[in-house]
Amino acid sequence: MKPTHNSFCHYKFPSGSPWSRGSPRPSVSASSPLRASQVVKPGAGPPERVDPAAGRGFRRTDGTRAGAPSLAMDPECALLLPGLCAVLADPGQPVADDTCLEKLLDWFQTVTETGSSLRLLQDNPCLVELLSHVLGTQDAPAGLLSFALRLAGIFGAQESGFQYLQGELLSGLFGDAGPLGQAAWTVPSVRSGWVQGLRSLAQHPSALHFLADHGVLDTVFSLQRDPSLFVASAASQLLAHVLALSMQGAAGSPPAPQDGAWPTCARRIVGHVEESLCSTAAPQVTQALNVLTSTLGRCHGHWTKALWAQLSPLVARLLEREPVPAAHSLVDLLLSVARSPVFSSADSGPWDMAARTLSRLGPLQAGPLALGLLKLQHCPQTLRTQAFGVLLQPLACVLKASAQAPEAAGLLDGAPGSSVPVDSLLSSKSACVGLLCQTLALLEELQPLPQRPSPWPQEALLGAAVTMLRLCGGGAAPASSLGGRLCRTLAGCVRVQRAALDFLGTLSQGAGPQESVTQVFAALLECLESPDSSPTVLKKAFQATLRWLPGPPQPPSCCALSPHTLLFLQELLPVLQKRLCSPCWEVRDSALEFLTQLSRCWAEQADFRRALLASEVPRLARQLLQDPESYVRASAVTAVGQLSGWGLQPASTSPQHPGAQQGLLGELLHILTTDSEGFPRRAVTQVLTEWLRAGHADVAQDTEQFVATVLQVVSRDLDWEVRAQGLELARVFLVQTLGQPGAGCPYAVGLPVASSPSALPAALHALGRVRLLDFALCALLDCDRPVAQKACDLLLSLRAELARRGGLQEAGGSPDPAAVEAALRGWRTGEQGQPLGELAPAAMLAVLDAMDLEGFRGRLAESSDRVERSPQSLLQDMLAAAGVRENQADCY
Amino acid sequence: MPEIRVTPLGAGQDVGRSCILVSIGGKNVMLDCGMHMGFNDDRRFPDFSYITQNGRLTDFLDCVIISHFHLDHCGALPYFSEMVGYDGPIYMTHPTQAICPILLEDYRKIAVDKKGEANFFTSQMIKDCMKKVVAVHLHQTVQVDDELEIKAYYAGHVLGAAMFQIKVGSESVVYTGDYNMTPDRHLGAAWIDKCRPDLLITESTYATTIRDSKRCRERDFLKKVHETVERGGKVLIPVFALGRAQELCILLETFWERMNLKVPIYFSTGLTEKANHYYKLFITWTNQKIRKTFVHRNMFEFKHIKAFDRAFADNPGPMVVFATPGMLHAGQSLQIFRKWAGNEKNMVIMPGYCVQGTVGHKILSGQRKLEMEGRQLEVRMQVEYMSFSAHADAKGIMQLVGQAEPRRVLLVHGEAKKMEFLKQKIEQEFRVSCYMPANGETVTLPTSPSIPVSVSLGLLKREMAQVPLPEAKKPRLLHGTLIMKEGNFRLVSSEQALKELGLAEHQLRFTCRVHLHDTRKEQETALRVYSHLKSVLRDHCVQHLPDGSVTVESILIQAAAHSEDPGTKVLLVSWTYQDEELGSYLTALLKKGLPQAPS
Repeated sequence: MKPTHNSFCHYKFPSGSPWSRGSPRPSVSASSPLRASQVVKPGAGPPERVDPAAGRGFRRTDGTRAGAPSLAMDPECALLLPGLCAVLADPGQPVADDTCLEKLLDWFQTVTETGSSLRLLQDNPCLVELLSHVLGTQDAPAGLLSFALRLAGIFGAQESGFQYLQGELLSGLFGDAGPLGQAAWTVPSVRSGWVQGLRSLAQHPSALHFLADHGVLDTVFSLQRDPSLFVASAASQLLAHVLALSMQGAAGSPPAPQDGAWPTCARRIVGHVEESLCSTAAPQVTQALNVLTSTLGRCHGHWTKALWAQLSPLVARLLEREPVPAAHSLVDLLLSVARSPVFSSADSGPWDMAARTLSRLGPLQAGPLALGLLKLQHCPQTLRTQAFGVLLQPLACVLKASAQAPEAAGLLDGAPGSSVPVDSLLSSKSACVGLLCQTLALLEELQPLPQRPSPWPQEALLGAAVTMLRLCGGGAAPASSLGGRLCRTLAGCVRVQRAALDFLGTLSQGAGPQESVTQVFAALLECLESPDSSPTVLKKAFQATLRWLPGPPQPPSCCALSPHTLLFLQELLPVLQKRLCSPCWEVRDSALEFLTQLSRCWAEQADFRRALLASEVPRLARQLLQDPESYVRASAVTAVGQLSGWGLQPASTSPQHPGAQQGLLGELLHILTTDSEGFPRRAVTQVLTEWLRAGHADVAQDTEQFVATVLQVVSRDLDWEVRAQGLELARVFLVQTLGQPGAGCPYAVGLPVASSPSALPAALHALGRVRLLDFALCALLDCDRPVAQKACDLLLSLRAELARRGGLQEAGGSPDPAAVEAALRGWRTGEQGQPLGELAPAAMLAVLDAMDLEGFRGRLAESSDRVERSPQSLLQDMLAAAGVRENQADCY
Repeated sequence: MPEIRVTPLGAGQDVGRSCILVSIGGKNVMLDCGMHMGFNDDRRFPDFSYITQNGRLTDFLDCVIISHFHLDHCGALPYFSEMVGYDGPIYMTHPTQAICPILLEDYRKIAVDKKGEANFFTSQMIKDCMKKVVAVHLHQTVQVDDELEIKAYYAGHVLGAAMFQIKVGSESVVYTGDYNMTPDRHLGAAWIDKCRPDLLITESTYATTIRDSKRCRERDFLKKVHETVERGGKVLIPVFALGRAQELCILLETFWERMNLKVPIYFSTGLTEKANHYYKLFITWTNQKIRKTFVHRNMFEFKHIKAFDRAFADNPGPMVVFATPGMLHAGQSLQIFRKWAGNEKNMVIMPGYCVQGTVGHKILSGQRKLEMEGRQLEVRMQVEYMSFSAHADAKGIMQLVGQAEPRRVLLVHGEAKKMEFLKQKIEQEFRVSCYMPANGETVTLPTSPSIPVSVSLGLLKREMAQVPLPEAKKPRLLHGTLIMKEGNFRLVSSEQALKELGLAEHQLRFTCRVHLHDTRKEQETALRVYSHLKSVLRDHCVQHLPDGSVTVESILIQAAAHSEDPGTKVLLVSWTYQDEELGSYLTALLKKGLPQAPS
C-alpha cells in the first residue's frame, strides 16, 4: 500500500492554524506569527553567497558533484513529494536504498541552485512538515536525522529560505536542544550531517549571526577532534569557511584580529586556532594548521596578511619543538602562504620560515616542501638553492657511497655536508626505501617543469639513477662500507627499482653525454635481462627504454641509426625474444606492447627492419596469437597486425592452426570468429580497419569480399565494442568508395575524391554488395547505445553525401516503392535479425530519406538511463520501495 | 606503544564499497578497493584522499589486498591504481586475478555504453592494473617485504574468494572479506586455522539472520521456473557474468537432467565458455564433489545450457535465459525484459540485489508501469526475488570466530543495527572486545607484541643446574641481563654482560634505620636481634659475625647507639636488590620490636 497524506496525521498541526491548511509558515511554532519582514518575495533573487558550489558534499573539496540530476522541480515531482515526506517520516517504512537520500539531497541542491528556496518551501509545505517532524521525534533514526540536517542546510543557504526556517526549526536542529543532546549524536553520520548542514547554511550574514547566537562554534571546535576522519575534516573546513565568510562581510581591513574591529565569529575562530597552535597535542596542532592552510589557500584578502602576521610567531614556535609537530600540515601551510598572492617576494617572513623549516625537518618531511618551493617562480634564489639541496642530498649520498674513486663526480660537490640524509638512509631498510622513492618521485615531477633549477645536474642524476638500479640489481660493487650497507639494503628492492626506472625515463627528456647514454642503455639491458626482475619492473624498464630510444627519423628512412643505438638494438632484440617466451603473461604482454611501439617508431628504418627480420621476434609474436591469456592474444594481434602492415610479417609457424593456411588475414578472421574473449576480437577489428585504411596487400586483393566478410562476422559479435569498431571499418570503406564526405566543399581542396558523381551508382552497388547498409541499419537498433550512435552518424553522413551528389537522379532514377517499403518493414523488424536484402541504389537512398535519422540521433544523444536517473523516477522508487517488505540485506 | 589501527573508508556500518585501512607494526595495508554501484558520480569510489593527507599513496601503502572479484570489493581498483596513482603491489588469489578484469570490463562497458561516461577507466587501465597484481595460492605465506607477510585462506562465497591473514612480527590481523560457512553446489565452506590473530575483521551481512535452508530456496526456485515453462512461459534470470550464475546453472542443469526436460536454457554473452574455462582452470577451488566428479564429468560443461543469440528472444514457446547484467540496467537482459515483460505467462527472477535507479529495483519494488525509451511499458510478467548470495549467517560468523580464536573482533560490511546485536553476542560468548567503526572512524587497539630474545648457553646451563628437570610446557622465570645491540636482543648472565660491555660492577644496596627502645649495649642488642631472627627465620641462614653485626642472606644488620637518646638503639639494615622481599619483611619484623628477654 502506498502511503498517503493521512499517514502524516500524527504530527499535524492544530486545526485552524494556518499551517494545517498548508499555508506558508515561518517556523515550527504554531503560535509564532509570520512576520512580513521575514518573507523574501519570490523572484527577489538569491542573496549573496560565498561559494555556491560548496553547499554540500564535503567529500570533494572542489565542491563538484558530477552526475547530479539536473531536472528542477516539476509538477509531477511536486505531486509525489508529500507522499514521500510521509514515508520518510514513518518509522515503519525503511528507506529502500542507502543511496536514495543522498540522491534526494542532490536533487534539492540542484533545485535550490536554480530557483528560490522560499518558493520551494512555500509551494511544498510537506518539506517543513518533515523537518519539524524529525525535530519533534526524540528517537528519529540516525539516517533520517542526518538527512534532515543537511536538507535544512540546503534550504537555509538562501537568505529567504533561512528566514523562513528560522525560529525553532533551525535552532532546534542545529542548537543545543537538537540532536546535539540526543543519543543519536553518537552516530557519526548525524554529526557529519550537522556539520554539512551548517556548511550549506553558512552563506550569508544572517547565518553568521545564527552561528554566533547559538553557540555553534564551540561544538565545531570540539568536532575537530572527532573520532571520525570525515567529521573532523569537515569541521575544520567549516571553520575556514565561516572565517572567510565573516571576514568577507567585514568592512575594511583591520590591522589585527585581536582588535575589536574583527567580527566576533572571526575573532573566536582565530582565538581557537591560536590556542590550538600552543597545544602540546599534535592532533590539535594539525587541525589548527589545516584551518589556516584552507583559509590562506582560498582567501586572498588583505585580512589574511594580518592574520598571518598575528599567527606566524606561534607557527614559528612549533619549529622550536623537538620533534616538530604536525610536520606534514606545517609544510602544507607554508606552501599555502608562499603561493598566496597576498605575499610578495619582498615579504621575507614566509621565506625565512620556509628556510628554517627546511633545515629543521628530516629529509622525508622536507622533500615535499622543497619541491613546492622550487615550483614557485618568485621564490628567492638562496631558498631555491637550499630546497634543491634537500632534494639532491639523498642521491648525493648514494653516489658518494657507491663511488669507486673519491674524486668521482657527484651531486652537491662542495656543498656543506649533512649527516642527516645518511642517517636516514641507514636507519632502517624501510626508511631508506621510503626516502629514495620519495626523492626520485619528487625529482621526476620537477624535471619537466620550466622553473626547475638551472643548471640541472643531468649527468649526475643519470649516474644516481643508474647506480640505484645497479644497487637494486646486485650489480654494484661499492668500495666503501657505507656503499656495502646500501647494497645490502637495496638488493632486490622492487620499489626503488620501479621508482628509479620511472625517473630514468623522465631524464630522457634532457641531453646527456654519450658515455652516460651508454651507461643508461647498459643499466636498462641489465634490468631487462635479469632473471630476478619482477613483471612490474620489466614493464617500467620497457617504458624507460622506449623513452631513451631516439624517435622516428625525419624524414623516415633517410638516415641510419647511430652505431650506439644499433648496437643497443642488437642486444635488445634477443632480450625481447626471451621476454616474449616468459611464463608470466604480464611480461609477454609488456614485451608485445613494447614491440608495437618500437615498430611504430622505426618500421621504416632499414637497419631496424634488417635487425628485426633477422631475429626471432616476429615469429614469436605471431605464435602469441594463440596465447592462453586473452590480453596477450590481443596485444599479439596488434603487434603482428602492425608488423604485417609494414611488411615485417613472418610466415606462420603453426600449420595446424585453422587460419594459418590462409595467411595472417585468415588467422585474424579466425580469432574474430572464434575467440571467446572480447579483447582479441576488438584488436582484430582495429587491425583490419587499419589495414583497410592503409591499403594492406591482403585486403587490396579483394576489398569488397574482405569488408563483407568482416561486417558479417562483426554484426554477430556479442561485444558491442567489436560491433562499434566494425562500424568504423564500414565508415572507412564508405569514404574509400564514395570519397571523403563533404569533399565538394570549397574549403576541402585537396582531399581525395575516390569517385566522381557519375560513378555513384557503381559505388552504391559496391555498398550493397558488402551489405553495408544492412549492417548499419541493424546496428541502428543495437541494444548498446554507442553502436547505435555510430551507426546513426554513419547513415547520416552517407545520406548527406548522396544528397550532395545529386540524390536519386544520380543514383539511377526512381526507386521501386515496394522494395523500399519492404526494406523499411524489414528494418523495423530488424530486431528479429531479418536481413534487408540487396537494395537497388535508388531504393537505398529512398530508405535513408524515409528514416528520421536526426530524430534518432537526438534520442540516442540522451543517456539511456536518463529516465531512471530523473528525480521523478527517484521519488517513485522511494515511494514504491516503502510498500515492499524489506528484502534481506543482500549484496553481490 | 605498539598498536593496530583500522579505519574503514567503506563497509564501515554499511554494505557499500569495501575499503578498509589497516596499520599494523608500522605497515599500512588496504583491504579491498570496492565500488558502490548505486552512485553514478565519484561517490561510487571510496574517498582515497583520506588515506594520506600528504605524500604519495605508493609511499604510504605497503600493499593492497583484494578478497574476491565482486565489484563492491574490487570495482575501484583500476581507478585507484591508474587514475589516483597507486603504483604498489596488489595481492589477490589466482582465480580472482583471472575473473576480476572480466567483471571490471563488463561494468566499464555498461558505464560507457549506458551512461555515456567519458571520464571512466579504460580497458587498457584495467589491464595495466591487473599487471600490478601478485597472485597468491591458498595457504601460501607471501612475504610482501622483510617484515610484512600475508596468507590466504579459503572463504567459499565465490570462486577464488579468500580470507587473508596479515602478519608483522608477532602481530596479526585476519580479514575475512565475504565468506560462507556452508558449502554450496560448487564451492566449499570457508576454513581458517586456529591462528589466534590480534584482530579478526569479519563481514556481517547476515549478522542477525539464521538463514533458512538453502535447499528450500533452491526448491522454490526450481518450482517457479518449472511451472512457468510448463505453462509455456519464458523465464528471464538477470545475472552478473560470473558468480552465482554458475551456481544457478548447475542447479537448473541437474534439474533438467533429472526431469528430462527439453525446454531450452540459454546463457547470454558467451559466458558459458568463459565460465567453463575458469572453473576448469581453478577446479581446486571448487567443492569436493565437483573435484571428485571432474575426472569423468565436468560439472561446468552443461548439456542443457546453450549459448544465446539475440534472435532467440523472439522464438515462440518456453525457454529460460540467463542474461547480463544482473540489475536489468542495460544490455541484453534489459532488451529481453522489454520483449517479454508484457506477457503474464513469463517470469523474471532476480537472484540478487538491485540498486536504486535500475529497472531491477523498480520491478522488485512493485512498479508495473515503466517508461522506457520514451514509451510506457506495462509489466505483466511475474517478478520474483530470490537471494542466492553466499554469506555466512550469524551462526556461521560465530563459528568462524570460534575457529580463529581472535583476541578481538571488528565487524564490517553490515548494517549498524544488526552489527550491534552481533557485537554483543560475540562479546558475551567469546569474552573478547568487538568493534564496529563507521566509515571514517579509526579503531586503535594496543598490542603487546612478543619480542624474540636469544638466551646465552651459559645462562641456560646455570638455570638448568638450579632446577634440573624443568617442565617443558610451564613458563619459567629467567633472570639475566638484556643486551640490545644492532636490532638483536640477547639475555645473558650479568657477569657476561659486564664482560661484553666492558663495564665495572656496582652494588646497589637498600638501607633502612629501625629504632628500638633498648637500654642495653649495642653488642647485646645485636645478640638479641640474632636470637630473635634465628628463631623466626628458621629456613634462612642467620649469622652473628665477630664484628657484632648480624646477617640474614645478603642482609646486614648493625646496632648503634642513638646520638641523642641513650635508651634507644638504632638498627642499620641494608640489603641487595636480590633480597628485596626478605629485606622488606625483616625491616617490618624488626619494627615490631624484639621479644622481651627472659628475666
